[in-house]
Amino acid sequence: MSDNRILETLAGQGISRRAFLKYCATLASLMALPPSAGKAFAEALAKAPRPSVIWLPFQECTGCTESITRSHSPSIEGMIFDMISLDYQETLMAAAGHQAEAALHEAMERNMGKYILIVDGSVPLGLDGAYSCIAGRSNLEMLKEVAQGAAAIVAMGSCAAYGGLPKANPNPTGAVAVSDVIKDKPIVNIPGCPPIPAVITGVLAHYLTFGSLPELDHLGRPKSFYGETIHDRCYRRPFYDQGKFAKTFDDEGARKGWCLFELGCKGPVTYNACASVKWNGGTSWPVESGHGCLGCSEPDFWDAGSFYKALSMPANPLKLAAGAAVAGAVAGIAISVSNKARKGAAKTGHETTTLADLEKHHE
Amino acid sequence: MALPDIPVVAETGALTGNARAVLGEVETLLDGLLRTGEGGIVDIRGLPLSPGDRIWLLEQLGKGEVEIHLDIGGRSRILETAYPAVWWIEHCDEGGHLISEFIQVAYVPELISAHPDDVESGLEHLRNRNADLS
Repeated sequence: MSDNRILETLAGQGISRRAFLKYCATLASLMALPPSAGKAFAEALAKAPRPSVIWLPFQECTGCTESITRSHSPSIEGMIFDMISLDYQETLMAAAGHQAEAALHEAMERNMGKYILIVDGSVPLGLDGAYSCIAGRSNLEMLKEVAQGAAAIVAMGSCAAYGGLPKANPNPTGAVAVSDVIKDKPIVNIPGCPPIPAVITGVLAHYLTFGSLPELDHLGRPKSFYGETIHDRCYRRPFYDQGKFAKTFDDEGARKGWCLFELGCKGPVTYNACASVKWNGGTSWPVESGHGCLGCSEPDFWDAGSFYKALSMPANPLKLAAGAAVAGAVAGIAISVSNKARKGAAKTGHETTTLADLEKHHE
Repeated sequence: MALPDIPVVAETGALTGNARAVLGEVETLLDGLLRTGEGGIVDIRGLPLSPGDRIWLLEQLGKGEVEIHLDIGGRSRILETAYPAVWWIEHCDEGGHLISEFIQVAYVPELISAHPDDVESGLEHLRNRNADLS
């Protein structure tokens, strides 16, 4: 692990303290931390050392890497990559062949037990892993070797988190998730097809700030980003509560921006942060663009039937019964019911937030 | 065909009613600032506001006397609203995309203040400059 402190590293690149404070305020916002947390976040992050990161791409389409590196660069995501030492990433690194393999092993040896391993893509188990190999070795073999020395693993994208599209019926390659192979290391799942770039940034920033992984839900996802459904945070939620639904993609309701539930929106059963973080540099997100949520951060979403079938109609395996039950929700006071994290934030918004408060928040 | 030529366009100007709750929160924070000296921050991007709600909120808060532009890893703008001590803060990245937006209730937003460490470093530079000149 590098001895360089983050703020010193950034200052060397001409990034001022105010720019850093701005970054931290934005990061706290993305992570649904109390707005006043930005300052405490900045104080802790400034003193944190730069960790080594090894990034392995397996059975994937490179969409996750594209999401992170091409989203709206130069960007907030760009800054977090200045805060880490990205020692191995096949798509981005200049080295190739034996040089790349040597870089991998050097990084592993130098940071044994301390590096963060990011994996995108699923792990094929069929034919002894022969469906996807790097340098003559299967993904399975490589994952087991590199995971051994990792402090923690980040499974980025729905493929690494759940098996993803390669695992779709009939799963010809025997694709599985990282967590199906590695059982003795802490794993954070960051699902999405692709995942929101800011989520990986947030997870890395949390690790840098607190030296631990964020609080996770039952599917191993950070609660700060996946703690509430798309529906809970959707600005169209009040229309749902009022019973105002678009019936087709070009009717009066669609033009007026009414709820897309009846057009198959999977927002009520999908846990992700698209509604607040948005896409393309905060430009928009699917529902704002007039299309329902596909549920891409939930396991096996591609096998759940039509994207355009309303949740109240039978389909599997998304929790559709729960979705149908939401249809009876009570109208009114949208903000107060739509965001529990924000309610907590509102309570603490009147107080100065300290690092200790943030640690409590994440316990 | 250009985007505006497409006949089906969702109206994003619809008001959901959520922005009114934000105004109430700002009132509470402003009252707290006067009573205790401690204001607070409302994170606009984290709330379920439609684009129309955001515009409505900006209109309700109006524009005050002070507007500050910062060039810190992309442009930022700190705008005093018509209500003294209520500031609308916009942060953009280097590509000009809006990445975060806050309403801060404070006598002066702390982002404006110089940090003591930076002041100390600046003083050292100034002393060296003066020493070189003498």
